[in-house]
Amino acid sequence: MSLFLASVGFGLITSAVLAIASVGFTLQFAVTDVLNLAFAAVMTAGAFVAYWVNQAGVSVWIGLAAAMAACSVLSVLLNLAVYAPFQRRGSSPITLVIVSLGMALIIEFGIQAVVGGVNVSYSMGQGRTFRAGGLVLTTVQIVIIAISVAVMAAVHVLLRYSRLGKAMRATAANRTLARNCGIRASRVITITWAITGGLCGLAGAVFAIDIGSFGPTSDDLFLILILAAVFLGGPGDAYGAMIGALVIGLGTEVSAAYIQPDYKYVIAFVALLAMLALRPTGLLGARARG
Amino acid sequence: MFYLITLLVYGAVDVIACLGLSQQFGVAGVTNFGFIIFQAAGAYVAASLALPSDTSNGGYQIYIGGLHLPFPMPLIGAALAGALLALPFTFLVGRRLRGDFAAIGLLVTAVLLNLLVTDYRPLFNGDAGVAQVPGPLQSGIFILSSTTYRWVFVAAVIVLAAGVYMFLRRITESPYGRTLRAMRDNDKVADSLGKNLVSLRTGVLVLGGAIAGLSGGVLVSFISVWSPAAWSYAETIVLFAAVIIGGAGNHRGAILGAILVPVGFEEVTRLITNSNPSLPPNLLPSLQWVAIGLLIVLFLWFRPQGVLPERKRLIAVPAPAPAAGQAGEPSAGPAASGHDGQGLLTRGEVARAREGASGAAGGDDILQAVGLSRDFGGVQAVSDVTFTVRRATLTGLIGPNGAGKSTLLALLAGTDRPSAGTILYNGQDITALPAFRRARMGLVRTFQLASEFKRLTVMENLLSAAPGNRGDSFRGAVAGRRYWRGDEAAAIARATDILRRFGLDKLANDYAGDLSGGQRRLVEIMRALMAEPDVLLLDEPMAGVHPELARRIGDTLVGLCREGLTILMVEHELAIMDEFCDPVIVMAEGSLLAEGTMAQLRERTEVVEAYLVG
Repeated sequence: MSLFLASVGFGLITSAVLAIASVGFTLQFAVTDVLNLAFAAVMTAGAFVAYWVNQAGVSVWIGLAAAMAACSVLSVLLNLAVYAPFQRRGSSPITLVIVSLGMALIIEFGIQAVVGGVNVSYSMGQGRTFRAGGLVLTTVQIVIIAISVAVMAAVHVLLRYSRLGKAMRATAANRTLARNCGIRASRVITITWAITGGLCGLAGAVFAIDIGSFGPTSDDLFLILILAAVFLGGPGDAYGAMIGALVIGLGTEVSAAYIQPDYKYVIAFVALLAMLALRPTGLLGARARG
Repeated sequence: MFYLITLLVYGAVDVIACLGLSQQFGVAGVTNFGFIIFQAAGAYVAASLALPSDTSNGGYQIYIGGLHLPFPMPLIGAALAGALLALPFTFLVGRRLRGDFAAIGLLVTAVLLNLLVTDYRPLFNGDAGVAQVPGPLQSGIFILSSTTYRWVFVAAVIVLAAGVYMFLRRITESPYGRTLRAMRDNDKVADSLGKNLVSLRTGVLVLGGAIAGLSGGVLVSFISVWSPAAWSYAETIVLFAAVIIGGAGNHRGAILGAILVPVGFEEVTRLITNSNPSLPPNLLPSLQWVAIGLLIVLFLWFRPQGVLPERKRLIAVPAPAPAAGQAGEPSAGPAASGHDGQGLLTRGEVARAREGASGAAGGDDILQAVGLSRDFGGVQAVSDVTFTVRRATLTGLIGPNGAGKSTLLALLAGTDRPSAGTILYNGQDITALPAFRRARMGLVRTFQLASEFKRLTVMENLLSAAPGNRGDSFRGAVAGRRYWRGDEAAAIARATDILRRFGLDKLANDYAGDLSGGQRRLVEIMRALMAEPDVLLLDEPMAGVHPELARRIGDTLVGLCREGLTILMVEHELAIMDEFCDPVIVMAEGSLLAEGTMAQLRERTEVVEAYLVG
């Protein structure tokens, strides 16, 4: 039982980090129509920015903010310089996926060329440990979960109650129609890149803090989890991605307690393929896209 | 010397792999981001078949199998393994899934399979991989000095690569290959023309998988080791870079790409590393990956067709028969030449003959919709529509924007499935049949948006729709040109007739993607006619077409109906309806509003209010 609760603790942390990333990824896809496989590479960039700021002796919070800002800018640039021109030319979705894979290589291994191939240690004092039954969480872990919950709430408010959120949803549903209704779609898209880039940077930084030691290629596998969570929830569906992140996060960590930890990702893998085969629109069965 | 031999073998293996990928990605448009797992499967299976049982090696490596089979069994096994591995992925490349989603599924599979094989040692010795795999014939049938043996090996692999190239060329240049390229350019349209996408894509995955598996088997027989590090998912990206740079869809381009990218990069890196031993160890491999990424993005932007673009397939248009005369001249418009299209409607005529013989059983109603509905998440696009299309009529379907006309057409053609209701075709319930089956029964549609196969010529667009070509199957393609050239010649003759009828024969060898909007609509109609339809469903065939041309299209359609073809046509222009269509069906807000001749409809106030005034 305590084994189960302990694994739930791990699962909650993974879910929290995963939720930030998955919501960012899925919103990016919904509004901009780019299935951005460079997402994890941008996360890595965010992690290193947070790490460097921290190493310089500045507080963790500033580090997180710096990571968000950096990834926000990087994502906007990525769109303006690469994705948007391809889209304007009418490239197929699959071409954009291949381009994003190319950008992933450029960013990820560009970082590796600068920092070298070894992992850096980003461990910090974990603070007090809280226990409830077998559930054990450190202060840092609780803060990460709190950040994630706050981000989910913020995304909810943004999408449901703000003008920008409505414009984003309209652009996601039908870009041409949104434009005809007076929504400045290209501006909405740029802002979306900025916001989701910020989420990406935040996810990268907390992911690095959570795992403690990271390197330029640490996020490769995390991308698989993001994709699994996003497809479980239905690509483009922010609420679906939240649920997907919870399912995948808990599923991988709890299963790790009972089977060999090496195989914990199998859950994510099976979930993703099953969704693709049976319900490509996701658990909530949202609108069918294209 | 040993280095040169190794380079040659690697080069030839990369060529084989790139050819397989080029067939999948460049020719058939199947983006297999998991390509490398097929190579890996081949390598492991070849190793497992060639190695002796793992109990005989003192237990330093464990693996399943260990059958110790002689050459060429391991290589045959490798190809089979790649082919069989493709089967479970069939569900990913079916009709319903977007190509990019399927690609993601394959990518994820590749990453996770690598992880599993790395962590699960009993399968293939885990992270360390298998070693000491015996090469072909190394157990002493031919005693060759080591260098001679290696040179023979090199020669054999190069011959094998050449064989794979010849084989793929044979397939790509056949009617089957043309169908694959049509599917690449627009899969939905290929489906509506009677192409079974699931079976085509499965074939492509299986063939590419077999080639990838073979390349893996060859590689492991030479280097004698194989481990998860050799087949990380990123290796697939290298192969993609090679195919994109060389020229997707051109097998020579794939060969060039294989030599430039995987081989060339290794070489350059090695040279730089050797000349600058002081560089940090990780820098060059990192920069190598950055360069691969840059090459992919830059090529897709500046030269998406690659160094060696796909070749244009020119098909000589047979000279016109003397009687037809003045073909291609605008004055000899379609209406004027209404009777030189003999054989245009082969199947229609057969159907009518059959009808006559059986005493007109089934009556005149060729297509019936009964209580047809389709809702999209609560919005009723089509609700409870019942109507009948009579044989050999040109029935118009009219209604304001958003009335559900195109959705109705999609339901009839099988592009979309109804939420409720039944569709009867020649009295038979076809509601559950997929689009390609309905097309094969003679129920063919066109699309509202331009849907030509862009990178096929006009002639090829037409030929791609011809049913019953013996070369339009994998087996037919393998059998070779001699097997299918009779059918091909017949199809070309028929396509030429249709081209003349529409006055487009001069453009037969132009890429369809380069035509004007009106010409592309014509291509689409001609292509649908090539499919030998009994019922043609046209979605705004005259939208955006010059009025003069629209009239000519209309006259031709009327002529075709006289010959026995049935047409249901969605159109916005009342003038066109007035002139050509009888009867006319009016739709508004998903429901059927009225039916009758235009004159009758004008009498009815609700119709006038709903549409004719607005």
